[in-house]
Amino acid sequence: MFRKTTLLVAAISVVLLFGSVAFAKKAYVNGIDANYPPFAYIDDTGKPAGFDVDSLNWIAGKMGFTIEHKAMEWSTIVQSVVSKKIDMVYSGMSITEERAKQVNFSDPYWKVAQVIVSKKGADLTLDKVFKGGMKLGVQSGTSEADLLQNQAGKEGNNYELKYYDSAPLAIMDILNGRVPAAAMDIAPADDAIAHGKALEIVGEFTEPEFFGVAVRKEDKELLDTINKGLKMLMADPYWAELKEKHFKDGAH
Amino acid sequence: MPFLDLLIPALNRGMAMSAMLIIPSAIFGAIFGVLVGTLRVFGPRPVRRIFDAYTALFRGVPLMVQLFVFYFGLPAFGIYFEAYGASVTCFILCSAAYQSEYIRGALLSIRDGQLKAGAALGMSKLQTVLWIVVPQAFRRALPGCGNEIIYLIKYSSLAYLISCMEVTGEARAIAAKTFRFTEVFTVLAVYYLFLVSIATWLLKVLEDRLHIPGFGRQK
Repeated sequence: MFRKTTLLVAAISVVLLFGSVAFAKKAYVNGIDANYPPFAYIDDTGKPAGFDVDSLNWIAGKMGFTIEHKAMEWSTIVQSVVSKKIDMVYSGMSITEERAKQVNFSDPYWKVAQVIVSKKGADLTLDKVFKGGMKLGVQSGTSEADLLQNQAGKEGNNYELKYYDSAPLAIMDILNGRVPAAAMDIAPADDAIAHGKALEIVGEFTEPEFFGVAVRKEDKELLDTINKGLKMLMADPYWAELKEKHFKDGAH
Repeated sequence: MPFLDLLIPALNRGMAMSAMLIIPSAIFGAIFGVLVGTLRVFGPRPVRRIFDAYTALFRGVPLMVQLFVFYFGLPAFGIYFEAYGASVTCFILCSAAYQSEYIRGALLSIRDGQLKAGAALGMSKLQTVLWIVVPQAFRRALPGCGNEIIYLIKYSSLAYLISCMEVTGEARAIAAKTFRFTEVFTVLAVYYLFLVSIATWLLKVLEDRLHIPGFGRQK
């Protein structure tokens, strides 16, 4: 009898002590890439930071769960979700068929388009850029540089690549009039346009990539929560604030 | 060996561009250096001031900034340099500024008495400077000038910043693409060592050819 009572008291104490947290709020662990600014990275003070980290913190607050961000080895991060080391990956992860076989993805929240940029009013089309025998600027060592190198001279393509050390320098040379157009990620292009540079986006080329949040296949509830949270976030003024904070020049 | 198949042709291509940057820059840099250095010592006062200012400017401003101004800045005034032209122009101007200082030092080390001796022989000041003083000073300055040329080989790498794809630019592109920075830059280091070795050898040959018995150290 005495033993039973003791056990009961102990059990109630445990529930009272820890249960309040456990029942009221779910706790999830998010795996991040430690070096993928501005989406996710470890800041100077050793804390996780970035656009995706801030986004998820906001969603957690709204949807009522607690979140811990854990820097993980990126190459094996999908396996870490499957093996329950972490519950999700919200860290600039491109949605790919390969990954979608192992995990479920949320609705895409970010589009990474490859675009051709020209001077405002240049009246170019993608066709003219790729087949008109023009000079085309590109950042050396990037996937788009690789792609354009391989595509040069094929399928009626006729352009001469000019290599820059960074996208902003290619933009500078468009403004100077040395190259009529340049290929780059949409982020630096948007950034330059936001800074009032007289540029325009001619169009997108190749398939864009989308970022989504990866969760375990069986975690339907979490996926639902994340999707709802993303929808709320993107409708909230905080979304624009976050973009402003993380995608301005030198923000990280 | 697909990695080396990718790396070596790219580096060779870059190396050809590097050579095209370095050779004219070294030759004209040295010639202008001698000219500027001589004018800074024996020129009339206003000429001296102008070239002192030129030297101060080109030695005082980082080469990278010079390149950016020449390439990205001057179009604002309607002056368009191609990447190659802008690089070579900057290298010549920068190199000449440094060379002029080596030459100036060497000129100052030639004793005044020689000018007087020239005058005593009925030579004009120009003749004495041109045929007596400068040839000695150039020989004295040669080790320093050679040093500057070797330095030029290495700072020519900055040309990739203004889209002139020389050997460092090619190497960086391959490294970024393959993420094999250590290997790529180790090979790049060998390429530069090769360039510098050739330059050192050529400078040694030049020094020997210019050697005059009785002037400078005996061999």
